[in-house]
Amino acid sequence: MKKIKVKVNGKEYVKDIPEYKTLLDFLREDLFLTGTKRGCGAGECGACTVILNGRAVNSCLVLAVECDGAEIKTIEGEGENGKLSPLQEAFQHHHAVQCGFCTPGMVMSARSLLDRVPHPTEEEIKEAIEGNFCRCTGYKQIVEAIIDASRGGS
Amino acid sequence: MRRFSVIRIRSLEHLFDLAEKGMTNPYFLAGGTDLLIKIKDDLLIPPFTVLDISGLQELRSIHFEQDYVRIGSLVTHGEIEKHPELRLLFPSLTDACHGVGSPQIRNRATIGGNIGNASPAADSIPPLYVYGAELHLVNSKGERWVKIEDFFTGPGKTIRNPVEIIKEIRIPAEKRDYGTYLRLGQRKALAISKISLALAGKKKNGSMEDVKIALGAVGPTVIMAVETSLYLRGKELSSEVIKEAGNIIEKEAEPITDLRSSKEYRKKMCSTLLVKALTNWKQVA
Repeated sequence: MKKIKVKVNGKEYVKDIPEYKTLLDFLREDLFLTGTKRGCGAGECGACTVILNGRAVNSCLVLAVECDGAEIKTIEGEGENGKLSPLQEAFQHHHAVQCGFCTPGMVMSARSLLDRVPHPTEEEIKEAIEGNFCRCTGYKQIVEAIIDASRGGS
Repeated sequence: MRRFSVIRIRSLEHLFDLAEKGMTNPYFLAGGTDLLIKIKDDLLIPPFTVLDISGLQELRSIHFEQDYVRIGSLVTHGEIEKHPELRLLFPSLTDACHGVGSPQIRNRATIGGNIGNASPAADSIPPLYVYGAELHLVNSKGERWVKIEDFFTGPGKTIRNPVEIIKEIRIPAEKRDYGTYLRLGQRKALAISKISLALAGKKKNGSMEDVKIALGAVGPTVIMAVETSLYLRGKELSSEVIKEAGNIIEKEAEPITDLRSSKEYRKKMCSTLLVKALTNWKQVA
């Protein structure tokens, strides 16, 4: 067991965790932040995407012990005061959510892009979500939602 | 996931101390994008020790010097692909790093890890061949510099000792006229290369002077297309020369059939990728 201190969605946590625990399992099982989903568990699908120290990562391929001292943002930190963020509203408006399983990871990849590039091109958007699989929408609505969010609409 | 212990390495001295005491099957955890999958898939035989080197800041920087560019082994593919000065000097390398996995993978996966894993299909390795990179290997007994082409002995196999660390990659800071990296995979993102080609070249008085070509995923290690390079030396970039170079590389490459592609397809595609690379060069020249 090792003690780690992390800041998740602005809140500080100190926890004792086994060394082999992934960041994904830590978020879901220790912090009960179950918005982050487990898909393939091998870095292929992007359902577990979170933002670690400002960069999108697959939380299934990061050990929680590596995150000691880190800042993490998950889907639970996207909206504020119980309200959806404009990005989430845009997903809703464009029907960019069908089964919804890829959505938390998809929103985190989009968030990480918009934080760096507030007004991305369509090409940049497609590249930012190339590590996120969606088996329902065909991606079109997702791309449109992100374009809309970047223009300040929803 | 299998239970295992992780030792967080605080410094190279810390690592060397541990190495002197002896360790059971040590594996370095850098970006973790390959190692954690191997552990999950039960590909590592226990007992083993995971050495988390991801906190070694001294291996995270890029230095530009008079004669060399030195890239720390923990620099990520994402940092390399977005580096404007590296793009100017080594476009084949930045292109290759850009094509790896997905943004999430590129934000974690390190160049040292890509080299250490020694996959014949690793994307960052063919460009390092064409740019003449050397690896700085260090352990508790000392250090050595190894040319990239002397490092690999087979798929997943290298001359590295278990607790020897790849500290940095040194590339001669030599400006070429053209560099590119082309790869074929099942799809654009998150696909292992079926075949890849790195090319870097210079011109003198309108003729190609020094063209280096490396092929990935066509043999047990990355290979250099030496005969094709010799043919191109001193020639102008004409359509006839490009076509003939394509024929030569097809004969020179000796790929194998595996689950991703057949030998025949790979041979043809060596030619196709080279023709494409040289044609692109002709168009920008």
